[in-house]
Amino acid sequence: MLAKRIQPMVFQARRLYVELMFQVMGRALQAVSEIDAAVQKEARALPDGFLFEMMVMPDGSRLIVEHIGNGRFHYHGNTAPRPVDLSIQFKHIAHAFLVLSFQEKTSVAFANDRMLVDGDISYAIRMTRILNRLETFILPKLVAERAVKEYPSNLHLPEKLFSAARIYLKVASNFVETVRA
Amino acid sequence: MTNQYYEFFCPVKVIAGKAALEHIPYELTGLGAKRPMIVTDKGVRAAGLLDPVIAACEESGLEIISIYDDVPPDSSTGVVKDIAGIYRREKCDSLIAVGGGSAIDTAKAVNILVSEGGDNIAEYSGAGIIKHPLKPFLVVPTTAGTGSEVTSVAVITDTAKSVKLPFTSSFLLPNAAVIDPRMTLTLPPHITAATAMDAMTHATEAFTCMAKNPLSDAYATAAIKKISASLLKVMDNPKDSDGRLELAQASTMAGIAFSNSMVGLVHALGHATGAICHLPHGLCMSLYLPYVLEYNLETIRGPLGELLLYIEGPEVYAATPASRRAEASISALRKLRDELFKRCKLPRTLKETGTVEEHQLDTIAEMAMDDGSMMFNPKEVTLEDARAVLKRAWA
Repeated sequence: MLAKRIQPMVFQARRLYVELMFQVMGRALQAVSEIDAAVQKEARALPDGFLFEMMVMPDGSRLIVEHIGNGRFHYHGNTAPRPVDLSIQFKHIAHAFLVLSFQEKTSVAFANDRMLVDGDISYAIRMTRILNRLETFILPKLVAERAVKEYPSNLHLPEKLFSAARIYLKVASNFVETVRA
Repeated sequence: MTNQYYEFFCPVKVIAGKAALEHIPYELTGLGAKRPMIVTDKGVRAAGLLDPVIAACEESGLEIISIYDDVPPDSSTGVVKDIAGIYRREKCDSLIAVGGGSAIDTAKAVNILVSEGGDNIAEYSGAGIIKHPLKPFLVVPTTAGTGSEVTSVAVITDTAKSVKLPFTSSFLLPNAAVIDPRMTLTLPPHITAATAMDAMTHATEAFTCMAKNPLSDAYATAAIKKISASLLKVMDNPKDSDGRLELAQASTMAGIAFSNSMVGLVHALGHATGAICHLPHGLCMSLYLPYVLEYNLETIRGPLGELLLYIEGPEVYAATPASRRAEASISALRKLRDELFKRCKLPRTLKETGTVEEHQLDTIAEMAMDDGSMMFNPKEVTLEDARAVLKRAWA
């Protein structure tokens, strides 16, 4: 009985969590593309103006980033200025929650058909590598190991901490700028 | 509570065995089709493989309205448009693909145009664009390897833009796959070997990659058992129709397995090598399989060890310590490749192909990194890893 009464609150909390995580990830993608050479190298293969979307079907939360050239991303929030080039779509908010709460790795979510790719699959693979790189920086190692297929053995603590601090600082500044605007 | 989750889907009716072709008229009539069009290629026609299909239909009073026999090895948007035009002009109402991967993919694409309308197949490229069932469609494979008769994917080249367009929809699946041993009886030895190793790779990767599931496992192991038992017999006696049927069924089973569990690094490297060096897909699969299994070994030790039972049989499996079974499976596959090399010179290394040059390895590795199959490889592959596997496969 109690479970039934609190269920709407649980659903609401899950929706808010996914929405918040998309906002953090979108800003963090922009930040990591400004500081990490490996991400920049991966992103340079994307066409300039390339719009990437990650969303929850059918019309739920979403994040949209644009490759603005030279390996840099710009976070557009949840509105695309034009039709997106690549969309990774969670079939249900429960699946998005599993991935964004690090209960299911992104690669496992793909293998489990939790997500659809609409667009060029090779770009989706590239974007997944970028997301993995971001997660290894911003998450504690124990959590990151649950999020990515294999935690990189060559990522050492000083580099991780330094990069994470710079990314979080940029994410926080971006949040403040958004609120001010 | 278990964390396991999987999806499995295969609505294709499999019609397999002696006189299977003679079921085509019944199947088409049951689908309300009376005016079928055959899509095939010149090689199939020249080998006389259309004759039993046409005879089977005519004997039952079902007239083949049109035959398109000019499908190229890499089918294009222009070819699809031309065939759709003929289909409409001749007022056909169904399709029969007779051939290998290219003829089957072309017929799948033609079916989209003639069912959904329009002349530009590129408009339907992508996943989930097609929302309705298509026209009645039967597939008669003439190679035992691709498994295209049970996959919901087609790839067509857009010649104007020089890109390969993928089409993915469960509606692309044929209503029935007709597996008749007569259709593969005349396959030359090197194609028999390469296509069988393609099926072997589909099954092995299906069983060892990330999206494996209990149902795809059952199909994969059955396919591996059939290929291991029949391939060398067929190589020694190409007219062995029972062995041919076993290989053809194995190919379909491997197709069902991998289309539900996906494939990994062998395919990623194979797709890139095919695109850059124009090597046949089956040959690439045979070439890379043991090297990739060695690379993935520690991640797939359990399932790879299990495969020894299906590759070598119960005696060898029982006699091999559990801790050595994964390595023994790789050795058995290497032994199989050596036997195929003895019989038809199927290359075992990139150098043996005589086509690939060492300076191309970096380009192959880079292209493979962006291949969709990479996602499902059980081990995270870096560019350096891909280069290392290629280096080992070189010579």
